[in-house]
Amino acid sequence: MGLGLLASRALRPAASRLLRYPPRHGLARAIGSTPERQSPEASAAQAQPDPAPELPPRKPVAGARVHLPNPEDAIEVFVDGYPVKIPKGMTVLQACEVAGVDIPRFCYHNRLSIAGNCRMCLVEVEKSPKPVASCAMPALPGMKIKTDTPIAKKAREGVMEFLLMNHPLDCPICDQGGECDLQDQSMAFGSDRGRFTEVKRSVVDKNLGPLVKTVMTRCIQCTRCVRFATEIAGVQDLGVLGRGSGEEIGTYVEKLMTSELSGNVIDICPVGALTSKPFAFKARNWELKGTETIDVTDAVGSNIRIDSRGPEVLRILPRLNEDINEEWISDKTRFCYDGLKRQRLNDPMIRGADGRFQAVSWHDALAMVGEVIHKVGPEEIVGVAGKLSDAESMMALKDFLNRMGSNNVMCEGNGKHPNADLRSGYIMNTGIAGLEKADVFLLVGTQPRVEAAMVNARIRKTVRATHAKVGYIGPPTDSNYDHEHLGTGPQTLTELAEGRHPFCSTLKNAKNPAIIVGAGLFEREDSDAIFSAIETIAKNGNVVRPDWNGYNVLLLHAAQAAALDLGLVPQSPDSIKSAKFVYLMGADDINLKDIPDDAFVVYQGHHGDQSVYRANVILPASAFSEKEGTYENTEGCIQQTLPAVPTVGDARDDWKIVRALSEVAGVQLPYDSVGGIRSRIWTVAPNLVSVDEREPTTFSTTTMRPNTNQKISPNDFGMAVENFYMTDAITRASKIMAQCSAMLLKK
Amino acid sequence: MAAILRGALKGIKEKGLGNFLRDLKEEGYLKCLADGNLLQTKLHNIGATLVGVDKFGNKYYERLGETQHGRHRWVEYAEKGRYNASQVPAEWHGWLHHITDHTGDELLMLKPKRYGAEHRENLSGEGEAYIYHSKGHALNPGQRDWTRYKSWEPAKTDSQ
Amino acid sequence: MAFTLRSVKVPPNSASLEEARHRVFDFFRAACRSIPTVMDIYNLDDVVTKSHLRSAISAEIRKNLHVTNPKVIDMLLFKGMEELNNIREHAKQRHHIIGQYVVGNHGLVQDLGAKEKDMSDFLKSFYKSNYF
Repeated sequence: MGLGLLASRALRPAASRLLRYPPRHGLARAIGSTPERQSPEASAAQAQPDPAPELPPRKPVAGARVHLPNPEDAIEVFVDGYPVKIPKGMTVLQACEVAGVDIPRFCYHNRLSIAGNCRMCLVEVEKSPKPVASCAMPALPGMKIKTDTPIAKKAREGVMEFLLMNHPLDCPICDQGGECDLQDQSMAFGSDRGRFTEVKRSVVDKNLGPLVKTVMTRCIQCTRCVRFATEIAGVQDLGVLGRGSGEEIGTYVEKLMTSELSGNVIDICPVGALTSKPFAFKARNWELKGTETIDVTDAVGSNIRIDSRGPEVLRILPRLNEDINEEWISDKTRFCYDGLKRQRLNDPMIRGADGRFQAVSWHDALAMVGEVIHKVGPEEIVGVAGKLSDAESMMALKDFLNRMGSNNVMCEGNGKHPNADLRSGYIMNTGIAGLEKADVFLLVGTQPRVEAAMVNARIRKTVRATHAKVGYIGPPTDSNYDHEHLGTGPQTLTELAEGRHPFCSTLKNAKNPAIIVGAGLFEREDSDAIFSAIETIAKNGNVVRPDWNGYNVLLLHAAQAAALDLGLVPQSPDSIKSAKFVYLMGADDINLKDIPDDAFVVYQGHHGDQSVYRANVILPASAFSEKEGTYENTEGCIQQTLPAVPTVGDARDDWKIVRALSEVAGVQLPYDSVGGIRSRIWTVAPNLVSVDEREPTTFSTTTMRPNTNQKISPNDFGMAVENFYMTDAITRASKIMAQCSAMLLKK
Repeated sequence: MAAILRGALKGIKEKGLGNFLRDLKEEGYLKCLADGNLLQTKLHNIGATLVGVDKFGNKYYERLGETQHGRHRWVEYAEKGRYNASQVPAEWHGWLHHITDHTGDELLMLKPKRYGAEHRENLSGEGEAYIYHSKGHALNPGQRDWTRYKSWEPAKTDSQ
Repeated sequence: MAFTLRSVKVPPNSASLEEARHRVFDFFRAACRSIPTVMDIYNLDDVVTKSHLRSAISAEIRKNLHVTNPKVIDMLLFKGMEELNNIREHAKQRHHIIGQYVVGNHGLVQDLGAKEKDMSDFLKSFYKSNYF
């Protein structure tokens, strides 16, 4: 809620009486600092020109478009005298938003159910004896809503006074200060003095775990967090206890909040009752620089904003993207940032004869690598891109090693026989937002809750809204929606493919069935056979149709999709076992025992994680928060990171290292800039250049895949992600994530 | 006067002349001649009760009765040359300034074990003055590290 | 400011190049004589040697080797004298001295190994920093 807007709205009647000309634009600008960044609501509210009563028609708040399914269901209401057409069933508050009036609110949140308990959204409705709570009141035809009358304002002021009665006056030490809805709205709508002289109520703080800090005395009982936990996160951990002045939010028993989305309650809390524990007392929000970038800790590519001060990342917040993460992000995304400050590689290092690393200059390190790479045969050179690599650096690595004569470039997590030929075979064809249309889900070897928490939230949303059926094949798992556990391994899959399983009829009768296959299956020896079995199921269930493609692969890592688009496929699957020169570009999860003892290992990366201990030369690179890189998420949407903070120490961007190394090795790559490398990518995979667009696939694998003569092995599907909180070099270096996995993942 | 002389003679008789003279010097009687302040303290001491001696050797006297109120407690510093008020440790300060009637020896047990620092006299002007250097100062031994990240330590990685 | 100006004498302009040359030598001597004081007040003993500072001074003077106009030399000398006074009066801080005269303007990152002449511009700037 933009303070500027609220203030200008509060001033409006007086101003419109006093001023003939409309000067309020400037006023709103002068007060609101950068509200576009604060929240999606505010950005839209700010973008919308302040509607003056003289200038009809007003533009809707947040640029909201009214979708009228059938025109006869539309009703007309009057907001401050202006007629608006809205579909039947909208609330008064929504009608006001369509009319361009932003109603103050605390408990109402458009992604949560309606509670109507804060009473801040009171408006006057003609012929109603008292002000009505607009968020809970359905709009009726011909309703005359008045939002600016003395009654409405007095009602708001009264509500505000009651809310502030028991709210502590600790804004100067409150972490929410500066981005607090209560602060803003009390400035705009509150009284300038209080009449309260008694003692304020105090509430015992609750322990919600290592991520969320509670100061429950500040709570205004809007119950947004309770509704978020039950509706979106799907955990019944939070609830309201007591009544009247004894009412408080809490876990019913002494219990931590064990949800992978728990960090979002920090964002939705309108006051400072729930704040970020790792961020507590670290900074004020107005001294932070926001950088709009994306997240790479999983394959979803959630849109985030990195808030930094100087060279430090201080917090990560979600950005609104309806197609990917709505306005939530997972805890791993939100709290992994302290990993960016620990275990960093900051100098090029060479392992000496005594086995110890010594920091050297870039010149010496590159000279050494350039010398060694010429001493081995071309077929003995292997390159492995890590799970956090961006498309630019993978392109450069592939080009470099190809020029050295080797074609053994791979990306970790894609398995030995990746199918890079058909794009529909490795991305989520339905799209994350498209999952909401599905009515039957079949999850094969995937636990979306730990592999991609945002996709899981989408599935849960669908299951909650439409009672879609979910069938699951894999090891027993803890899911936060109702699902039918069909089996644990390929056995069930074969039954489904042959039509012997009872779930087949469910699939067949479904209107929009969706199959989601986990990328953990890529690593299996019999992956081809399993995928062809899944495709048989898809064919039998009519999953892929011209109007609906329900065949999805849920990837695990941020680099996977782009790597397959760029064709990072090893020529011979077991090349690493006979390699003499291994180039690890941030690859920390490969099996280090596969690398022969006499191989020369170059590790290029940003964290001293697992592979560093095997490396002969370390080349320090920049992390995702420090570079500009292109990533493709699991649904094939291309997004770019932007540098939020400078690189640490003597580190360099990934593609620059490869480019410099290529010159030292005598095979100079022909690009010197990001633009140059992107035009090279454009010749290989044109879709990777169109940023923020999702290129749909043209061919479906169900019809095009060559037959395989592999046998399905009876081994059960495994867990692709053992520990949700620690999956890559950054999260493994993070102290917060270590705390989370110690406290929240009790077996 | 006669009493003083009698006491002196008794001391000479007990300790011998040499020892007596050394004691005289150590007790600061010789300095009395130049330092009227010390002389006055010494004269004051006659007939007063010695309430206690702290760990530095400062002696605390009290005389009730004919002394003017407010002058009935005083200290004779162990240091006879460069004495100053900061040589009185914290536990005796209260007694000396009439804040409390508990003597320093009684208050010693109240001293916090964990963080109670040893009393140091103020050495300003004596060459050992405490000078504050800010965190980034070149003369500050614990110079502040301005790097905001922790680098990976290769030292503990001799696995190969 | 006033005390700086007071201590900087403004002699009449040098009549000839020869006189200016002498003044330069006088200035160099004066600067060299103040080196021990400077090392003391800025606590430079563990970061630099006297001879290094001397060569830093002479390098600063040699930078203007090409100047032949006595008036310009006088002006430069005035600037140098002002700088020297500022340093002697502790008007600067330690890191100013280290940055200007110890590390010098070639920066902390010195690429001593880069002898090859046929490097591309990319590689040259790559060795210097990540941002280009």
